[in-house]
Amino acid sequence: MLSRTHFIYISACVAAFSPSCLLSFSVAAMQVTEAFKHAFLKQMLLGFQASAVSTNSMGFQERKNAIKLSADVAMAVARGSRKWTRGLIAGLSEEQQNRSFLQLILGEQYERRLMKPCYSSWKIPRCRKIVRRSLRVCCRRQKKKKNQSGVLARTLVEKRTQQLKRLVPGGESMDGFSLLDETLDYVLSLRAQVDLMQSLLTTVESSKLRSHSKRTLPERKASYVGK
Amino acid sequence: MSSRRPRSWQSSSASRITDEQINDLVSKLQAVLPEARIRRSDRVSAAKVLQETCNYIRSLHREVDDLSERLSELLASTESSSAQAAIIRSLLM
Repeated sequence: MLSRTHFIYISACVAAFSPSCLLSFSVAAMQVTEAFKHAFLKQMLLGFQASAVSTNSMGFQERKNAIKLSADVAMAVARGSRKWTRGLIAGLSEEQQNRSFLQLILGEQYERRLMKPCYSSWKIPRCRKIVRRSLRVCCRRQKKKKNQSGVLARTLVEKRTQQLKRLVPGGESMDGFSLLDETLDYVLSLRAQVDLMQSLLTTVESSKLRSHSKRTLPERKASYVGK
Repeated sequence: MSSRRPRSWQSSSASRITDEQINDLVSKLQAVLPEARIRRSDRVSAAKVLQETCNYIRSLHREVDDLSERLSELLASTESSSAQAAIIRSLLM
């Protein structure tokens, strides 16, 4: 589907990429490798093709949503199989309008993802687990009323954990440890997404400027000669 | 990492056995946050790290949104005649 010129374009974007997140922790942690960058940009361009982003008939909001969708899918695909990437795709496919795009972009991968147990079907038993757990925590808190600062700290952590669960895709069904692990991975991937989109923007902007200047150059020459 | 642990441990979020690993993750998360260079020496509380992480994720989401808008504007204003514009269009079509 992508021609040689596509890959030249991708290489230009990769070259423009300024590695602000080339941090490496453990072997298991997320690293922004060349492979990741290539996979992301390739997937972005595939997404643009699939949603025909360059056509003039699209409205601004529609085009923006298509770009954002492409970017999120690209990030998930480039990262591979993680809890948050599965959560992201699952979340996107919950909306009817996204499904045909996901089908087109992911192909058989999408079918396989759909085959995996859907988190939404676990909602009811999970709720009971959470209620039971929070009741246990409440009992524990009542017993430890003497340690006021400890209780306050734990409540705050609970509150922040709940917020984090809503921000990280698939977070609702994660336990504390997984949530932290996935959050770290997700944050690094998000940073890479931002940097790569920025480099894509820069590349398109600069090539547009070049094309614009090429057109105006003959006019400038003429005026110079005139002087 | 967590796959090595038995399922029962995975479901309890604050078990004594994984406390060290949790602290390890929290400090790694702290290192990733934008002001990490300034505050790396301090031992910031877990709640603070979580809060900062939430804020950071939200700001990254906003950045992606903003970049999507700018890309949308850029791809909207297509100029037809030059070769460069044609290449971009065919690449992104």
